[in-house]
Amino acid sequence: MMIPLLKAELFKLFRESKTWYAVAAVLLIEFIILIAAYFQGATILELLLDNLRQSFYFEGTLLNGNLLLYIILNSLWFNLPLILMIVSSALITEEYKNGTLKTLMLQAVSKRKLMLAKYLTSAIFTLLMLLLLMASTFVLAYGIFGSGDLVVYLGTLNFFPAEEAFKRILMAFASGTLSMLFFTTVSVTLGILLKEPAKTWIASAFFLILSSLLLKADFGLGSMERFFFAKLTNSWQRFFDYELQLQEILIDNIALTVYTFLVALGGMYLFTKQDVG
Amino acid sequence: MLNAIKLSKSYKSGKVLDAVSIALEPGKISGLLGRNGAGKTTLFKILCGLVTPDSGEVHIASKQAKPIGAVIEEPGLYPYLNAYENLKLFAQIQAAPADRTSLENYLTQVGLPLDRKDPVRNFSMGMKQRLGIAIALLNAPDMLILDEPFSGLDPTGVASLIQLIKTLAQQNIAILVSSHLMAELQKSCDYLYVIDQGKIVNEGPTQTLLNALISVYTLTGTAIEKAQSLQPYVLHAETNTVTINCEHVPISAVLRSTLEEGYEVHSCVPNISLEQLIIPLNA
Repeated sequence: MMIPLLKAELFKLFRESKTWYAVAAVLLIEFIILIAAYFQGATILELLLDNLRQSFYFEGTLLNGNLLLYIILNSLWFNLPLILMIVSSALITEEYKNGTLKTLMLQAVSKRKLMLAKYLTSAIFTLLMLLLLMASTFVLAYGIFGSGDLVVYLGTLNFFPAEEAFKRILMAFASGTLSMLFFTTVSVTLGILLKEPAKTWIASAFFLILSSLLLKADFGLGSMERFFFAKLTNSWQRFFDYELQLQEILIDNIALTVYTFLVALGGMYLFTKQDVG
Repeated sequence: MLNAIKLSKSYKSGKVLDAVSIALEPGKISGLLGRNGAGKTTLFKILCGLVTPDSGEVHIASKQAKPIGAVIEEPGLYPYLNAYENLKLFAQIQAAPADRTSLENYLTQVGLPLDRKDPVRNFSMGMKQRLGIAIALLNAPDMLILDEPFSGLDPTGVASLIQLIKTLAQQNIAILVSSHLMAELQKSCDYLYVIDQGKIVNEGPTQTLLNALISVYTLTGTAIEKAQSLQPYVLHAETNTVTINCEHVPISAVLRSTLEEGYEVHSCVPNISLEQLIIPLNA
């Protein structure tokens, strides 16, 4: 029963025009960043690194594919999760809006399985979008700008040789995917709670902003503080610290995955307990 | 086949259902008549398992994977899919036959054209109702529950939907139809429940119930307004038409007197309002 439900959810998702608008929006943002970098990137980079050039010698151009990949990776902060949350929450809110959830629940279908299919669909869509973003950026960024050393400013300027930069970008994409899965799972659960599309979009955007705000907050929880969900959603950024704390990042990613499962389980519990209609 | 016993449900706004009991039998069409807000939809949602009652029980004797097929309020359809795609999607998720022949049979059964390929957002309410019924019939349920299926339909649509409901009942499906319009239920139902403020206030075989409550009739016939035998009962008279109230005399006796007087009666239409039906028979 799960496979037909999952197939049906994916079929509906890809027949909805808003899904394709979301895909187009993500690709358009990527394209605009690349165009802006092509025409203005070198000038901005020169301004930023002018002082350093008096003390250091840089080999090759710093406006390269790796830097562009890093810039596009930064869309994981807000615009990409927001778009993904809007599409994911619609998996449930559109059913409420069109009255199709009632029709679904009037068939021989289990509530728990239906909701599980929706969470899985949201996860599959998120993975596909990240893959698309990663693949298209790799092709375009390397195709237009070539490879080279990566310079990143995270409180201090960190330099990574081209090969090391590529590895770290790949790992950051993988870790960022877990953050995106967390946000989209939250948005589906918000959809179950709020039912209306517009309310859910606002709540999703609010959750995203709140997570960003709480990222820098200090709750005085000592070593436990790092396991607060908001602190876990930016693990991907830590791949660009000069000293790579791989084990800590891995633990944080596992913790975030546990949060994701808990949010999904909570959503499924709520849905099965709720009346429909 | 279905026995609902003393169902009650309250929301913050107050009690919506108060100890409602109903029964459905195979091949019979039952009607649930009541004003808007009387509790019809809540009762249907409880019968279909969408809403949990505060108290009471629903017993269903069925071996089907889907014992009840239903269309509650407006049919919920995916507006961006066409009729066939909607039907196929709902069939696939519940492992009902989803091959082209089976699905086209469902569409034909409810009288939907097979050549409409456009999204259902373009469909009329009547066509959406029919597709809703086709989806409800997937997986061969023993019972069919239709909530206000006549709303938004033109007279032709109402007539053909009544015909469809009767055809389905002939296939031994137990049917429960709700409406706030009496004429439609009168034409289609074998048994009638009247619900008001969350309570079943009257019930019985449709004709018996109506006969017990109807006292106003509209008669037409050539110069019938001049018939002396009708004068004690006349409420309203026009050329060739009179409306009479014969509360304490059987209509058959009144008609006999009129015929004996030499007037021809071309038609005799009972007039009954929902308000009359809401008054309990034993009150």
